[in-house]
Formats: sequence, structure tokens, C-alpha cells
Amino acid sequence: MKTPVVTQKRILRDVIISIFIYALPVVLMLLSFKISGQRPWKDKPNSTTIQK
Amino acid sequence: MLVHIETIFRNLNGWGLPVIMLLIGVIEFAYGLYENHWTKNEKVLDIVCFVVPRIVVRPFVAYVGLLLFPRLLPEAKNIFAWVPFWWGFAIIAVADDLTQYWYHRLHHQLPWLWRFHRTHHSAPYMGMAMASRQNIIYTIFFSQIYLTTTLVYLGLGYPVLFVTGVKALITTGAHSSIKWDKPFYTIKWLKPIGWVMERLISTPATHHAHHADTSDDGVGYYKGNFGNMFFIWDLIFGTGIITRQYPSGYGIKHYKQEEWYAQFLWPIFKSKKEGSELSANGPMVGDALPEKVPAVVAGS
Repeated sequence: MKTPVVTQKRILRDVIISIFIYALPVVLMLLSFKISGQRPWKDKPNSTTIQK
Repeated sequence: MLVHIETIFRNLNGWGLPVIMLLIGVIEFAYGLYENHWTKNEKVLDIVCFVVPRIVVRPFVAYVGLLLFPRLLPEAKNIFAWVPFWWGFAIIAVADDLTQYWYHRLHHQLPWLWRFHRTHHSAPYMGMAMASRQNIIYTIFFSQIYLTTTLVYLGLGYPVLFVTGVKALITTGAHSSIKWDKPFYTIKWLKPIGWVMERLISTPATHHAHHADTSDDGVGYYKGNFGNMFFIWDLIFGTGIITRQYPSGYGIKHYKQEEWYAQFLWPIFKSKKEGSELSANGPMVGDALPEKVPAVVAGS
């Protein structure tokens, strides 16, 4: 049994859209650093704890 | 306050979630929500699927990950530990759940993958009993396990703790036979929250539709509603349907009550039931029909 061609095309289209969705939070984070001038990679690690 | 939240999530990811599931399961059972569908064969399958991944598969993946990564990528350990918490949370929430959306969707849309996911859909009921019910191969290759293990090694372990906790609560709630989302569709002042909620995350209404045994009633939609934590993927890709109703029946029409070991271990063990998808010469997909074009229908 084969996957219908219409389904194959939808999967391909949606995979391409997904690549942009995966990248979106990373791009927005880098954009926020550019706007705010932050350079957290030069400071000590901070994702291992919440600011208390 | 944040320390307490951290403690809650640490416990949730350890013993907390299984205890919550057991408690909800007892309530569901006490209220008769499994009706007379929970036969001995279903009970054994549900319990084996609940226990084995927790005591064998997940510890094994974590152990192998901890063993392999330092050898393969010694320089990469904690390389992204500088990522601020909330950005890490957003990156992992998207990466984890979108990957699971794809893993799940492909098991429905590629016929050769269907039988690895069929076990999750064969239950003729919803609830905690079937929430963990999966074929062992589906569990072993559960793609986002590897993704999150990698991200933990790269230094994003702390956000992972919170994402997996929130996700577990949402997916558990979506599988529950307790229709906790109903007030959000019926009580006037809760409706705006319900409108946002049913589009953002999986709810009993949208996820029960995915487990329906038919789509003929306009409520069931087992060829869509693939989202696990987030429902927005189904909206973006046009694979979702929102009706704010619950299907009348669950499971698969061509279910033959296959032996629990065949459902859990196919293709290592096969079913003796004639004509079963899990039997030696069974069909790849038992109810193969022409695909309908999915459409998103907003709730009233």
C-alpha cells in the first residue's frame, strides 16, 4: 500500500514550513540580543537556574 | 516561590506524574468511565505499556546518552548553557512538540508506519489506562526522547525539566476520560479562555476526536488532530478539527482484540487472529479508504 501523492505533497510542504517554525524561537532570541545589546554567551551560564 | 515551582517540577518528572495518573485512573474507574471495555487482555496491555517504558526504555536511553555524548562530542557539553531560561523554554517547547507532531502524523499518514502506532488507537475507551499504551518499537524510536536527551547534554537541561512537566500534564489531561474542558464551552465567562485554550493546547474534545472509531458523525477525526502538547500545529498545517463535542465511540472499527503481547511487541510477536493487521499475512491498514480533505472548523 502506497501513500497517496496528495499526502506526499502535503507532507513535503509542511516539512518545509516546519523548518522555519523550528528556527523561529532561535531567530527571535538572537534578534532580542541584537536589539538589547546583550551578549549572554560571554557571561556565566544562566539557563541552568532561574533568577531567584 | 520559584524554588517551590522548581521542586514541584522535579517531583513531577520523577514520581509525581505516575502518581497523578494512577489517582486519575482510580477516579475514572470508580466512576465507571471504562464501562465494560477494560477486559483482562486490555488490562495486561495497558499495565505493561505503563510500566516497561518507565523502568526499562527511558533509563536505558538516558544511560546510553550519558555514555555516548561525552565520547562523541566532548567539547559540546553545556555549550548552550548560556541561553536564558525563557528562550530555552521556547526553543525546547517548539523543538520537542513539533518533532512529536511529525512523529505522530507520519505514523498515521505513511501506511507502513501505522502498525507501530495502532496499539495506542486500539483501546475502545479513553483514560489514564490507555494514555501510555504504545507498541515497544514506537516507544523506543519516540523521536523527541533523543532530541531532549541531546539538548540536556548541550546545557538546556533546566528548561527541559519544565517543558516536559508542562507537556506531561497537558497530554495526560487530553487523554483523560474526565471531560474537564466542558465548562470552557458552556459557561459564558469561560468561553473566551476556552476559545484560546482549544487552539493552543490539546484538550479532551480535540484529542478524543483523534481517538474516535469513526469520522461519520462529524465529531471524530482520527485522520487529524495530531497535536500532543500544542494544537497550533494542526491549525498551521490544516490537520485539525474543533467541534467542542466528544465522539460516541473510541478505538478502531476493525479491532480484533489482538493478544496483548502482539500489540506490545509486533512485529517480533504476531497475532493469531485471522485478518488482523498484526497477523503474519494481515493487511497493512485494515480500513484503507480514500483520504478526505481536512478542514478546520471553529467551535461555536
